[in-house]
Amino acid sequence: MLALDTYELGNGLRVVLNEDHSAPLVAINLWYHVGSKNERRGRTGFAHLFEHMLFSGSEHVGNNEHFRYVQSVGGVLNGTTFFDRTNYFETLPSNYLALGLWLESDRMGYFLPALTQEKLDIQREVVKEERRQRYDNVPYGTAFERLLRLAYDPDYSYHWPTIGSMEDLQAASLDDIREFFATWYRPDNCVLTIVGDFAPDEAKRLIEQYFGDIASGGHFPRFELERKSQATEQRETFQTPVQLPRAYRLYHLPRMGSADWIHGDLLSTVLAGDKASRLERSLVHEKQIAQDVNAYVLPTEATGMLLMQATAKDGVAIEDIERAIDDEVARVIDGGVTEDELTRAKNRAEVEYAHQIENYDSRADLIGMLATYFGDASIVRTWLEPYGATTRDDLRDAAAKFLVPENRVTSLFVPSSSGG
Amino acid sequence: MTMTDRTTAPAPGAPRPYHFPHVTRTTLPNGLRVLVAEHRNAPIAALRTLVKSGADHDTAQLAGLASIAADLLDEGAGSRDAIKLAEDIGLLGATLGTGADWDASYISIDVLSRNISSSVEILADVSYRATLPTDGLERVRSERLMEILQQRDEPAAIAGKRFAGLLYGTGAYGNSIIGTSDSVSRIALDDVRRFYNGHYLPNASSVVMSGDVEASQAIDLAARIFGDWKKSDEPPRPVVSPNAIAESRIYLIDRPQAVQSEIRVGHVGVARSTEDYFAISVMNSILGGVFNSRINLNLRERHGYTYGARSAFAFRRAPGPFVVSAPVRNEVTRESVSEILNELRRIRTGDIEDRELDDTKNYLMGVFPATVQTASDIASRLLDMELYGLPDDYFDRYRENISAIGKDDIARVAQKYIDPDRSLIVIVGNASQVREPLGNLGIPLHEIDIEGNAVTG
Repeated sequence: MLALDTYELGNGLRVVLNEDHSAPLVAINLWYHVGSKNERRGRTGFAHLFEHMLFSGSEHVGNNEHFRYVQSVGGVLNGTTFFDRTNYFETLPSNYLALGLWLESDRMGYFLPALTQEKLDIQREVVKEERRQRYDNVPYGTAFERLLRLAYDPDYSYHWPTIGSMEDLQAASLDDIREFFATWYRPDNCVLTIVGDFAPDEAKRLIEQYFGDIASGGHFPRFELERKSQATEQRETFQTPVQLPRAYRLYHLPRMGSADWIHGDLLSTVLAGDKASRLERSLVHEKQIAQDVNAYVLPTEATGMLLMQATAKDGVAIEDIERAIDDEVARVIDGGVTEDELTRAKNRAEVEYAHQIENYDSRADLIGMLATYFGDASIVRTWLEPYGATTRDDLRDAAAKFLVPENRVTSLFVPSSSGG
Repeated sequence: MTMTDRTTAPAPGAPRPYHFPHVTRTTLPNGLRVLVAEHRNAPIAALRTLVKSGADHDTAQLAGLASIAADLLDEGAGSRDAIKLAEDIGLLGATLGTGADWDASYISIDVLSRNISSSVEILADVSYRATLPTDGLERVRSERLMEILQQRDEPAAIAGKRFAGLLYGTGAYGNSIIGTSDSVSRIALDDVRRFYNGHYLPNASSVVMSGDVEASQAIDLAARIFGDWKKSDEPPRPVVSPNAIAESRIYLIDRPQAVQSEIRVGHVGVARSTEDYFAISVMNSILGGVFNSRINLNLRERHGYTYGARSAFAFRRAPGPFVVSAPVRNEVTRESVSEILNELRRIRTGDIEDRELDDTKNYLMGVFPATVQTASDIASRLLDMELYGLPDDYFDRYRENISAIGKDDIARVAQKYIDPDRSLIVIVGNASQVREPLGNLGIPLHEIDIEGNAVTG
C-alpha cells in the first residue's frame, strides 16, 4: 500500500507517486514550501491571501474556473496555508488525472498574466471576512494569536498567525503579490504527490508534459529558524466578553518529528487524550472545576509547540484551574506515567496514522509533508517507529524538560465586566 | 519535447468502474438489523449503533433529554464505570463517541481491527447496558449548562436556535437539541432511564460494521453479542407541526460587539422521503449547495461580502428547514439579504444555463467515490440507508436518478419548495449599525433577544 516512486524533474520539482487501485480516484497534492513563516513584520497574511489568489485563475484557466473544472467532473479540492507551507489538492475520478495536472501546472507556471487588481480587491475582502468569522467575531477567537505574540520575538515569523492583520491585508498591493509568486511559487520549491489509481508510465509522461517546461528561480531569501530561548514565563490576562474563563498555554518544544516532539505528542495524549487522561480525569471528571481541557502538538517545522487549554466552570477562579493543571503536571514529572497510559497513547497515535493512510487525500498530504520537511517521503512507512520505541522514562524526562513554567507562555481569557 | 497545448483542458481517459462495497445484511430474532461492508484500506473498523429516536421526541419542558441520555452512555456501561470504560477503550486502540441529532441517536467506535471482538462487546454494553449513574447525570448536566451559557456568545449558534424556534415553535425540531438552562435543570434520572429504556430497542435500531472486517465473522459476532437485547414496542413517531409563515419577516437579535452579521433566510423544507429528493438535490446545488453555486459566487466571489454563503435542505424524517446562511460584515448586511432573496427568486424562474445544469449533475454523479473512501464514510452511508429506509440498490441507481433531472424539474421543485415571499429572516448582529438599513428592505422587522422574547423600546 505504501510503495513509493520518488524522483525529480530537471527543474527541481520533486515527485512522489503511490500507486493504489482500490478506488477509481487520484489524489493530486502539491506542497509549496512557503507559509506565513516567509513573511516579514508589517507584511503579514500574505501567504494565505496568496492561496486565495491561486484559485482566481491563471493564463489558460478563467476566474473561478479552477473550481468549476474540478467540481464538474466530480472532484473535490481545496488549499490551506500554515506557518511553513501552503498546500493545494484535488481528488478526481482517476480518468481525469491529466486535467488536474494541467490545472496545477498552469497556476504554477502561468499565474501572473491573469492577475488583476479587481481579483485582488475581491479576495482581500473575502480574507478579511474570513478573519472576522474565525477570529474577531467569535469568543476566544484571538487566543492563538495572543499566545504567538507572547511566545516569539516580533521579528521571528511565528509571532503572527497565518491569517495576518487587517492593516497588513489592507496594504497588500499587486506588486507584493507578483513578487511573492516569483520568489516562492516555482517547481524547485514544491513537492507533487499523487496517490491512487494511475498507470505509472502514463503519470510520469503527463507530469513531464505539464510541469517539465516551468522554469525554476534563483536563490530563496533566508529566514531565521532558530528561536531565541525564553528566560521566564510570559503571561497575560485578557478581559473580553466571554462567559467562562479559559487558560491557554503554549509550551516550547523542538521541531516536529524530533524525538522530543514525538514524546510531547504522546504526553499530550496522556494529559488530555480521553476521559481517563490525567487532566480530564482530575479537572473535569473528579473535581468538576473545568468544562473542558485539551492538549496537542502542532506539526510545525521551525520550532515545536505543545498547546494546552482549559475552560473554568462558571464561578471557578482561573487561578484554581491553573493550580490543578500544575499539580497534575507535577505528578507526571515526579511519578512518571503508567505502562497502560503509555500503551493508550501509542494506540492513539497508531489509530490516527491509520486514519491518515486510509484515505487517498490525507495519505498524499502526509507524504507531501514528510517530503517537504524532511526531504524523505519514505518516512511515511516508518512514521510510527519512534512512537513504538518510546519508554515511560522518555515521557517523564520530556515532562521534566518541557512542561515547566520557564518554558511556557500563558494567556488567560477572563470575562469582562460588561460581558455576556 | 513537443510544446504542450495548454489552451484547452485535456480530455479524460476511459472512466474506471466504481462499486459501493457489497453489503451483507441480517436481522436477528430480536429485530436488530445488522449490516456489514468489507473495505480494506487500513487496519481500521468502524462499528456503529443507530437508534431511530432522537431530539425529535423531546418536549419543550424536557428539551435536551435525548442528547443528555446519549452523553450519559459513556458514564458507565456493563461492569465498567466511566474511567474504566475510557481506559479499556484506549487499550484497545479505539475511540468511542455517543450523540443524538434530530432523528436518531448514535454510538460509534472506531478501532484497530485486531481488537474488533472486545470492541463489539463494549458497543453492546453502551447500547443496552449503560448504567446511567446519578453522579454521571450531575456531571453531564453541569457541563451542559456551561455549554448553553457559552453559546450565548456564539453568533452562529444563536442564529440557528432562534431560526428553529421561530419556525417550529415549541414542538419537535423547534427546541434546541442541547436544551435550555431551564429544561436541562429539570431533567431527572427517571426521565433519562425512561428515554433509554423506551427508545434504545433492538427492533428500532441497526448495527453497522465496516472496514477491515470479514462479513460472515462480523455477522456471527453481532448475533452472538447482541442476541440478548430485549425487544419491546416501538414508540410512536413524533408529530412535527411547523408554524405557518403568512409573509416574510425579519427578526433582529442585537449583539453589540458584533463585527459580522449572521444571516439565516428560509422556511420549512421537505422530508427525506420526498419523491423530489434528486431534483431538489440538483436544484439546491445550483442555488447554494457547493462552492461554485449561485449564492456563494454572488456574495463571495462577485461582492466579497463573506468568506462563505450556502443553502441547504435539512432532509429529515419529517420536513426539516430549508435555510440560506451567511456571515457578512456589518456594512453589507442589507445588501446581502437582498442578494439572497434575489437568488431565491431567480432559481424559481427556471432560467438555468445548460452548463450550470450539466456541471452540477456531473458533480453529484461523479463525487460519490471520493466521499466514501474510509470505513467511517461507508458506515455513515449505511446508517443513512437504515434511518431513511432507502432501498438496497439506492447507491447503484443514484447516477441514473440524478441524470434524469432536467431544467423543467429544477423550475418545478424551486417553485414548490422555495418561497422568498414567505421566509423567515433571522439576523444576529450589531443592531445600531444594521437596524436602519434593514428597515429599508420593506419587510416587517421585529427585534428579539437571544431567548426569542420581543424587545420593546
